[in-house]
Amino acid sequence: MDERTLDAIIARHDAPAGRLLGILGEIQNQEGYVPRETLELLSEKLGVRLSQLYGLATFYSYFTLRPVGDHVITVCMGTACHVKGAVAILEALEGLLGIKSDVTDDGKLSVTTIDRKFTVEIARCFGACSMAPVLRIDGNLYGYATPEDLPVILGEYGWTP
Amino acid sequence: MIQQKIPGKPVTVTINGKKYRANEGEILLSVAIREKIEIPHLCFEASLDPYGACRLCMVEVVRKGKREMATSCTLRAADGLEVLTDTPEIEKHRSILFELYLAEAPKSDVIRDMAAHYGVTRTRFLKRIEQGDPLGNKCVLCGLCVRACSEIMGAGAINFINRGPYTVVNTPYYAPSRDCFGCGACVRVCPTNAIEMEDVGADRVMKSWSDTRVPLSQCECCGRYYAPRELSASVLARLDTPLKEEIARLCPECRGKQLAQNEILAGRGGRATHG
Repeated sequence: MDERTLDAIIARHDAPAGRLLGILGEIQNQEGYVPRETLELLSEKLGVRLSQLYGLATFYSYFTLRPVGDHVITVCMGTACHVKGAVAILEALEGLLGIKSDVTDDGKLSVTTIDRKFTVEIARCFGACSMAPVLRIDGNLYGYATPEDLPVILGEYGWTP
Repeated sequence: MIQQKIPGKPVTVTINGKKYRANEGEILLSVAIREKIEIPHLCFEASLDPYGACRLCMVEVVRKGKREMATSCTLRAADGLEVLTDTPEIEKHRSILFELYLAEAPKSDVIRDMAAHYGVTRTRFLKRIEQGDPLGNKCVLCGLCVRACSEIMGAGAINFINRGPYTVVNTPYYAPSRDCFGCGACVRVCPTNAIEMEDVGADRVMKSWSDTRVPLSQCECCGRYYAPRELSASVLARLDTPLKEEIARLCPECRGKQLAQNEILAGRGGRATHG
């Protein structure tokens, strides 16, 4: 993120309450993640310690510190989805995309394919339990998902076997 | 405000049936420590506001014949306050806490000894052991180091990272910190001796904080490295000139020697530079 864009974001958040989270949220929305250089620049500009910003960015699951792919796939791992076969969905995704998901040391599960087309994440609940198991790709929700549906769904986002 | 500058009016508090004098508003745990009444605690540090994080200093407050549990570090002395420190309820609560701490910081001798002192030698919980943990599996996440770094020193080099079971304390991105003075306040306040710091040659190495290196000042007399350079510079900026020049050059020991030497010389009618 360039300095001017960051300045514009900072200028939009002048109220002290919720300021840092507001700014971090906009950075996350625009870049898809929170780049290290941006966080360091923000720390200088606001006179807020980097440790505080880093603490916030790692605390909230809304922020990611690593770049994500063109399409973000979020698999719901809430209780209902888990019972209805979310694990099978996740495993099928791993197979199709050729990735291995693993919990990183920050406790988040987020894997990106080598070609940077897809990122697979998990969520704890979408609140769409009636359609379990659910997955979301770039904000579009897919309910009653089965591993067999996945190639078709992924095909909508340019996936080819 | 960290501590009350003006002591409150004298009050009498009752601890385990015995009466003690205290000042109104004084921290009950401080009263207990002063009166040598044993209450285990980890996260209490007199120079910081009480925080109530470790929950070990729980006592039972007797009020109108009823008892309720409270952390004695956040409890303030008031006239007629009555507490009990060793009821079966407290003992049970403590044992479970010690079991949890034994699982959270399995490598900490401090925790092990403290727990053993209260009769807890093993834990039923899964021990959290991580290979290569910069805090040596001794951290209980009480937050004293984080608070000392930012609230006392104003450095803010370290903070909590992540959340829930993945929470750790370290520098951002686990990279050497530019904000660290190398003052070692974190090392001093840590109740479980989890933080490692070592002076290696001309540098102080904060081993637990991603090997952050801070240059040290060298004594002109004996050549020993004795204090973080930047930290001494900021302290010196606030001192008078003659004192400043001396402290800037010499380590505390050499300065002591020089002072003594001057005193002796002055006694023999020699030269003295100190008033």
